[in-house]
Amino acid sequence: MKRYDLIVVGAGPSGLSAAIEAAKRGLRTVVFDENEKPGGQLFKQIHKFFGSREHRAKIRGYVIGQQLLEEADSLGVEVRLNATVIGLYQDKEVVVKLADEVVHCKGDAIIIATGAAENMVTFEGWTLPGVIGAGAAQTMMNLHGIKPGQRVLMLGSGNVGLVVSFQLLQCGCEVVALVDAAPKIGGYGVHAAKIARTGVPFYLSHTIVRAEGDDCVTGVTIAKVDEHFQFIPGTEKKFEVDTICLAVGLSPMSQLLKMAGCKMEDNPRRGGQVPICDAYGRTSLAGVFVAGDVSGIEEASSAMIEGRMAGIAACEYLGFMEKEELAAQLASQERALDGLRQGMFAPQNRGRAVAETEEGIAVSASLLRHGYISDDEIERFPGITHRAGVHPVMECTQNIPCNPCQDACPKGCISIGANITSLPVVVESAECMNCGMCVASCSGQAIFLVEEDCGDDTATVTLPYEFLPLPAAGTKGDALGRSGQRVCEAEVVGVRSAKAFDKTNLLTIKVPKEYAMKARFFRSMHN
Amino acid sequence: MESRIVEHPILGEIENGRTVTFTCDGRELTGYEGEPIAAALKAAGLMVHRYTQKEHKPRGVFCAIGRCTDCVMVVDGKANVRTCVTPLKEGMVVQTQYGVGVEPFDRREEGENA
Ligand SMILES: Cc1cc2nc3c(=O)[nH]c(=O)nc-3n(C[C@H](O)[C@H](O)[C@H](O)COP(=O)(O)OP(=O)(O)OC[C@H]3O[C@@H](n4cnc5c(N)ncnc54)[C@H](O)[C@@H]3O)c2cc1C
Ligand code: SF4
Ligand code: SF4
Ligand code: FES
Repeated sequence: MKRYDLIVVGAGPSGLSAAIEAAKRGLRTVVFDENEKPGGQLFKQIHKFFGSREHRAKIRGYVIGQQLLEEADSLGVEVRLNATVIGLYQDKEVVVKLADEVVHCKGDAIIIATGAAENMVTFEGWTLPGVIGAGAAQTMMNLHGIKPGQRVLMLGSGNVGLVVSFQLLQCGCEVVALVDAAPKIGGYGVHAAKIARTGVPFYLSHTIVRAEGDDCVTGVTIAKVDEHFQFIPGTEKKFEVDTICLAVGLSPMSQLLKMAGCKMEDNPRRGGQVPICDAYGRTSLAGVFVAGDVSGIEEASSAMIEGRMAGIAACEYLGFMEKEELAAQLASQERALDGLRQGMFAPQNRGRAVAETEEGIAVSASLLRHGYISDDEIERFPGITHRAGVHPVMECTQNIPCNPCQDACPKGCISIGANITSLPVVVESAECMNCGMCVASCSGQAIFLVEEDCGDDTATVTLPYEFLPLPAAGTKGDALGRSGQRVCEAEVVGVRSAKAFDKTNLLTIKVPKEYAMKARFFRSMHN
Repeated sequence: MESRIVEHPILGEIENGRTVTFTCDGRELTGYEGEPIAAALKAAGLMVHRYTQKEHKPRGVFCAIGRCTDCVMVVDGKANVRTCVTPLKEGMVVQTQYGVGVEPFDRREEGENA
């Protein structure tokens, strides 16, 4: 039987981070992953991440994946792919199914980082070809270059549903509706807003009645639900679609831990059946650690920190480090993790209705209900100010752990402060030089540069644009409002693409000046 | 309609393997070597991968990561191959799976009645 100092199960962000920390300190480490390629969920994520610099904010997920792999490689971590771990025993023996053999290995320490599986919902016709998981959609379009469908309805408004909807739009699919049975959008408002402004309607308090079609999906009927999630007759709406995408939550894949006899608990705040563990991922079994989504559904940034902590804790367990050193090494990781676990969407706030921001400003009800901030709500947020000349307008109105905008501005126009969940504030004394860095760096695509009065009754609005084809200067079309409705005619007067913008293009459109604070998206006449 | 993404605003031009020829239920198709069989089938507009044993209900790709087994087909004579995680190769013979075999149910019944 092969022996290792440390066996890691799962080569996602948490497993790779754990292996990196262990290998750095000299542990002989192997990582097993069932897939053909390492990286877990990271390689499917093509958007810029939230967080702050220490969390690799504003870097796209797949790039973070590449960085982790390179680091693991340079440290000599052995990553075994197409290797499914099918058994874990109390004496830290692991059973691995490789292509056509089953092998047993023993680790002095084990880290389980198996991530999560997608939840399902059932409705009439849910097994028809064309009903797919959101993860499947991501896999097809971002890994295999295939559109999951031409016309798609998304069920689920959590961050996964929102992120995948946007990605569907980016690869050229039409998203006909975003539907959720809950009365409020579950994910970040900035993710919802960038979808809503392209014209995708949100149907909250709605769910799927049935998928239509004989051999595959040809349509879908949704209806409104009451507060007990019962259909309200007469509210049905039908859409012609070829694909129904389900994004109804994730559950920790904790079966291996249960099998090994770890103490488990059912914790809805963590997403279901999870092992009982301490802050460093130590479970009830000595030498067995957990990290990432398997110990509670969060996100990739926290999964990476948890992985690092479990890797460090495993080193201490195996005597590669003194107790005092452990505390010192974990302190900075804990601080980083704590920073992410603040704000309206923090694990402790899950399921709670938040009426006001930390600053005491009423949250936008329209954002939660329709996916966009209404024109009469927008002015109350500190990212929105008015002045002569080009200036940033930050439509970021919820306390989320994110601050790349503050770091991006060379002129100090944007301030978030020490607490990364605070809303971005315009610094009135600073002068914007229209460099565009804030627009491109904003993970939520929530920053616009506005010149409210160009002197000829027009205004210009610069917006982030991550779609193809990229309209050229001179293109005429419509300006859409936050809701995705046409507000006025517009002409593209500038297109900026720079390496530093990392594939976020900046489109500047000219509109009549009364629409300066309303025009937020551009649709060319041909579309 | 075309299912292949030719150019992506973030991922750029999609890199593909060598073009290979394979068949699905006798129909000659092309795809890229190494991509999942299911990707090539999707690009060819094929949605139904199999019909269930008991109720003869159609199934297609659902999870795309090898977990749900909805996408299994008969590949090179072998049943229950998960097409979403099996790489495409030149000359593969792919067939819709009916229950656990390749014989459509209606034809089977005819055979039994005869
Ligand atoms: C659509 C979507 C969008 C997201 N957007 C963001 C975002 O913007 N920012 C963010 O921070 N997070 C985001 N997340 C969340 C993030 O992807 C996850 O929280 C993160 O990937 C969890 O990391 P992990 O290492 O715990 O698990 P995973 O990334 O899921 O990795 C686990 C790995 O273990 C493998 N595995 C499981 N069981 C076994 C076994 N028995 N044997 C061998 N291998 C096994 C799996 O195949 C997988 O490769 C998103 C998630 C999704 C689905
Ligand atoms: S455009 Fe440049 S100078 Fe102006 S606010 Fe944004 S980052 Fe700062
Ligand atoms: S405005 Fe700043 S804090 Fe808000 S999403 Fe954009 S980068 Fe993050
Ligand atoms: S689609 Fe689930 S196993 Fe292939």
